Amino acid sequence: MIEMLSYEFMQRAFLAGMLIAILASVSGTFVVLKRYSMISETLAHSALVGVAVALVAGYNPLWVAVVVSILSAWLIEYLRSAFALYSDAILSILLSGSLAVAVIIVSIGGEFNNSLFAYLFGSILSVSGEDIATIFIFGFIALFLLLLFSKEFYFIAYDEEVAKTSGIRVKLLNYLLVTIVAIIVALSIRIIGTLLIGALMVIPTIAALQYQVGFLRTSLLSVIFAVLSVIVGMTLSFYFSLPSGATIVLCVLSIFVLSLLINKK
Amino acid sequence: MSIAFKSPIFDVKNLNFSASGQDILAHISLEIFHGEYIAIIGPNGGGKTTLIRLLLGLEKPTTGNIKIFGKDLKHFKEWNKIGFVPQRAAQVDQNFPATALDIVRMGRTSKRKLFSRESEEDIQAVDDAMAKMDILNLKDKMVGTLSGGQRQRVMIARALASNPEILILDEPNTGVDIVSQQNFYKLLSKLNKEENITIVFITHDIGVIADDIGRLFTINQKAIICNDPKAALSCEDMSDLYGISAHLVHNHKHEH
Repeated sequence: MIEMLSYEFMQRAFLAGMLIAILASVSGTFVVLKRYSMISETLAHSALVGVAVALVAGYNPLWVAVVVSILSAWLIEYLRSAFALYSDAILSILLSGSLAVAVIIVSIGGEFNNSLFAYLFGSILSVSGEDIATIFIFGFIALFLLLLFSKEFYFIAYDEEVAKTSGIRVKLLNYLLVTIVAIIVALSIRIIGTLLIGALMVIPTIAALQYQVGFLRTSLLSVIFAVLSVIVGMTLSFYFSLPSGATIVLCVLSIFVLSLLINKK
Repeated sequence: MSIAFKSPIFDVKNLNFSASGQDILAHISLEIFHGEYIAIIGPNGGGKTTLIRLLLGLEKPTTGNIKIFGKDLKHFKEWNKIGFVPQRAAQVDQNFPATALDIVRMGRTSKRKLFSRESEEDIQAVDDAMAKMDILNLKDKMVGTLSGGQRQRVMIARALASNPEILILDEPNTGVDIVSQQNFYKLLSKLNKEENITIVFITHDIGVIADDIGRLFTINQKAIICNDPKAALSCEDMSDLYGISAHLVHNHKHEH
């Protein structure tokens, strides 16, 4: 462990990974309770469009991913409220649409295929000092907003209409939540990868729900599961040269299966 | 009951609502005053729930006017003066991670200021609401494990936690056993008389509530407002409202 942390890139990856684990699991709790789990998958694919554009145009991929992901989140929320479309259908349409656009952009600038692979599956080696700064700046803003409005998000997740009738600005807060989720998803793709970030958002909460405890304890359990998965996953990834995102997801899946077995009725 | 109160809580003028080309509610005009105890009855699909949704701003009227506490609905902001318990209140998602206390605390959410923690006043209001509903002993129980009647009381405690002036309940007895239902009506009556909370609720159980309520609104697209519910509950009116032939059924107690 100490040997592993003597590498500067591992220190960076650990720092970023832990923050992302906290962010993904806290926001994931609200997303799961709102029955909106698929949104993380869709936003991750939108973020990939941002990455593709940045790679071709020579910008910082993380920044562009954040911007495109936020725009996509707003589009989803707008379509959901303005048209009588099914939420899951909207997510599905935007997911495949984004992926198609990303693939076309990448195929135009063919030489960037290798870089894109790292964004699909996550690569701790690729986390730069600038990435760490971006992850921390946006990450702390996202975490601050999540905690500031956690009571409102919880109420809305419980019953959107009752929350509205009690004077909570549901529409505005729904936009805020998807914006925060978009930021977190975009920040995560360096470490976890587009194809796997959804798992880190959704599975820790589903595992925590198995223990049937109140909201605060569920949130705490979900954070512990996510952080633990990142620590163990990254360590295994370092020593066995495995892709970081996939290893982290397998860890969180193991925790989920254990939680299911422990709480089997 | 005298209804010589100040300006009405709800003042509805010539309200019309249609969806997909069908008239759901037509020419509804009504007033709800402070301290009243009102039941709304009518057949399924008659527009009872739609009326409540319009009053709460969850639907926009096709035409007509709604004033709440003297203000136009569009400009009304003091929603925590109104406690709402929806139809599905007792049918909560079994897996939702909430204790009874978590749910009742939600009632204070819209009152809190940004950056402020739970205040003494919040804690007291939540405690009072739970005490009124006699659920203090269920505080740490997960809502998914409670009975229908217990959940119903948790949901009403949530609505009461914001210290509302009016409580609106949409068929709150769905999924609740008979004994709990009877206790429930006693409780509503107590809240109305002792706490002076205006009560409006939608129900099917006309017989159980007839003794207590002040006014009865019967809704089947149109509204008929009866100031004397007992007289209104005659067979002719019921036949008219539900569109079927109604008969009086006397309940005899069997003595052994």
